[in-house]
Amino acid sequence: MSGRAYATLAAVLLVLLAGLIISFTHGTALAQESQPDGRSEMVFLVTGTIVDRQNLPVKNALVTLIDGATNETLAEGITQPDGRYAMNLDRPVPDQIIMHIERPHFHETDIELGKEAIQTLHLGQPVGVPEVVLARKVTPAFWIATLVFVGVLVLIATGTLHNTLAALLGMAVVLGVSYLGEPINNGLFIFYFQGALAYVDWNVIFLIMGMMMVIAVVERTGIFQWMAFMAYRTSGGRTWLLVIILMLITGIASAFLDNVTTMLLMTPISVQIALALGIMPLALIIPEVFASNVVGISTLIGTPTNILIGSYAHITFTDFLINLTPGVLMALLGLIIYSLLVYREDLSTDGGHGTSDVLLDKLAERAQITEPEHLRKAAWVGAGMLFLFVFGEHIHLIPAVTAIIGATALLIWIRPNIDEMIEAVDWTTLVFFIALFIIVGAVQEVGLISFIAELIGQAVGDNLLLAMLAVIWLSALLSTVIANIPFTAAMLPVVAFLTATIPGASNKALFFCLSVGSAMGGNGSLIGASANMVTAGIADRAGFPITYAYFFRKGFPALLITVGLATIWLLIRFLLLPS
Amino acid sequence: MNEMKPKHIVCAVRGGPESRDTVSRAIDLALAYQAQLTFLHILDAEFLEYAIIGPLSVVYRELNEMATFTMLILADRATRRGVEQVDYVLPEGSIHDELIRYVNETHAEMMIIGRPTRSPGRNVFKIDEFDDFVAELEREGNLMIIKVPAEA
Repeated sequence: MSGRAYATLAAVLLVLLAGLIISFTHGTALAQESQPDGRSEMVFLVTGTIVDRQNLPVKNALVTLIDGATNETLAEGITQPDGRYAMNLDRPVPDQIIMHIERPHFHETDIELGKEAIQTLHLGQPVGVPEVVLARKVTPAFWIATLVFVGVLVLIATGTLHNTLAALLGMAVVLGVSYLGEPINNGLFIFYFQGALAYVDWNVIFLIMGMMMVIAVVERTGIFQWMAFMAYRTSGGRTWLLVIILMLITGIASAFLDNVTTMLLMTPISVQIALALGIMPLALIIPEVFASNVVGISTLIGTPTNILIGSYAHITFTDFLINLTPGVLMALLGLIIYSLLVYREDLSTDGGHGTSDVLLDKLAERAQITEPEHLRKAAWVGAGMLFLFVFGEHIHLIPAVTAIIGATALLIWIRPNIDEMIEAVDWTTLVFFIALFIIVGAVQEVGLISFIAELIGQAVGDNLLLAMLAVIWLSALLSTVIANIPFTAAMLPVVAFLTATIPGASNKALFFCLSVGSAMGGNGSLIGASANMVTAGIADRAGFPITYAYFFRKGFPALLITVGLATIWLLIRFLLLPS
Repeated sequence: MNEMKPKHIVCAVRGGPESRDTVSRAIDLALAYQAQLTFLHILDAEFLEYAIIGPLSVVYRELNEMATFTMLILADRATRRGVEQVDYVLPEGSIHDELIRYVNETHAEMMIIGRPTRSPGRNVFKIDEFDDFVAELEREGNLMIIKVPAEA
């Protein structure tokens, strides 16, 4: 090392040493300043908690302590997300103190601190105020937010606007009304932008984003087409066996990839197999989409609704697997039997006359794994992610982080065109979820969710069995007419309330009921699930249209069978089996 | 028009059982005039705009594969019946726009197209829009269009 380098190094070390000395001495001085001088200090601290009628904490409530004689403000504080507040009086304690609480969408409340509390304060000791329950207030904002929420659901159900556009419109209205309406009338206020963002569950957003990247690699490998053709080969011309195998493939794929992607990839190849065999394609693809909606709930990542539920209620990948898989298998068995019965005539081939060897050869040509190396790497990364999903729970590794790690590892290993991969993330879907969270947050803010929770709570009382039946079947039936993602997002606080108030519900049984109802209910109508719509769209393009009436005739009985069997399992699991 | 002997006939078709009569008519005419027969199927993924899905490129690839397969079936049927020159085209996009574009670019003298039926299903055109659209196609492409069935 040259002399100059030594000099530079010495200078750096000197600076570091000086910094250390300064920080040590300064810190010591601070410590000395903060040390008590031996006398006890007087503390005029008032703490407490504020909740609503559903016993949920009320955050961002303004709590003011007022001198009852002079109306002078003594202290102010804001409640935290857990509903707690703490205020220090920095002036002499008067003989009468009024606690004034105000929060948008709640009635203003005044509470006079009791004489014991005043005396405790005079003695210089902290006072804990008993829990305060705030009552909801219905304002014009309540009706606006409710109308927006219902309007968005209608726009999505009728297909009038793209899902994301409908959600963006709703978000724009609730925020616009808050900012532009508040100066005109306080009752129009819903929440500020920061408050709105607090309702966005970023765990869900990043989990979905990560999984989209992984799926984008898998779907380009041709694995689905290959599996479907192998199903045909394995069935040996027995169409009933072909249906069963295709349902299993679709169901298992849906448990790890999203239902829509699964059906997008399975439907075209299934149509081709059916045409080559000379059978009605709907006899294959309808049972497949049913299986997709049913089996998808076995894992945390199988459906968007499970991702929402898992993140909100802290239900892990393993929890879903253990608590729902037996019920899912029961439902799938019932679904297979039902499908074979309903389509028994359509599945009969006319003595082999319909089978075209030429077309089957064409199928074999295209049913190849196009990128075997990518598939191999995706399989390794997928296995790693599965390991992290299951065992990461012990180190509090959240699923979103697992998905990001997995997606990044796969992209680095494969090195695809990064622009293509970024395009593979369906940003419109992510924006949809963000906007949806804000809309649901708005109706939560104004008290609509509390109102619904109270209604349901009154109806079921303390009866866990009744609550489970209500959640499963209401979710299932409403999911036939309402898009299940916004429905689930809105139901989460309702189910949380019921979970907190009904004895025995702390095992999260009601969240599993919501998972079953909202997903399996999607089989009840064409609009019940996005996977249904894309399947119908593809079938329509092949010349085999699926009408609302047709799907309802086939799907509603499937709903009754699968939800019924899953209900039996959930009752056994959460009411009979030990926790 | 009665004297017309087309050398190239286009059959605009979706596929499936509802297209059977349209395809049969097209094959009959191709045999009668000893004309080249082209099956035209437009890949329209408009329905996906209303679903939450992944990349459209993958979807179009799958739709392309499925449509190719369907066209192979139709081409096979035409060949078995004796049509000597058969092919198919699969443009992507809006059905309305692609039909207009195709008739402008092709030198076909005749197009066979299926009339919307009253059977349950999603028809591309409403019944009262269909005749106007066919008239527009005839003007744009200067070709004869035969509707199947002839009358609603």
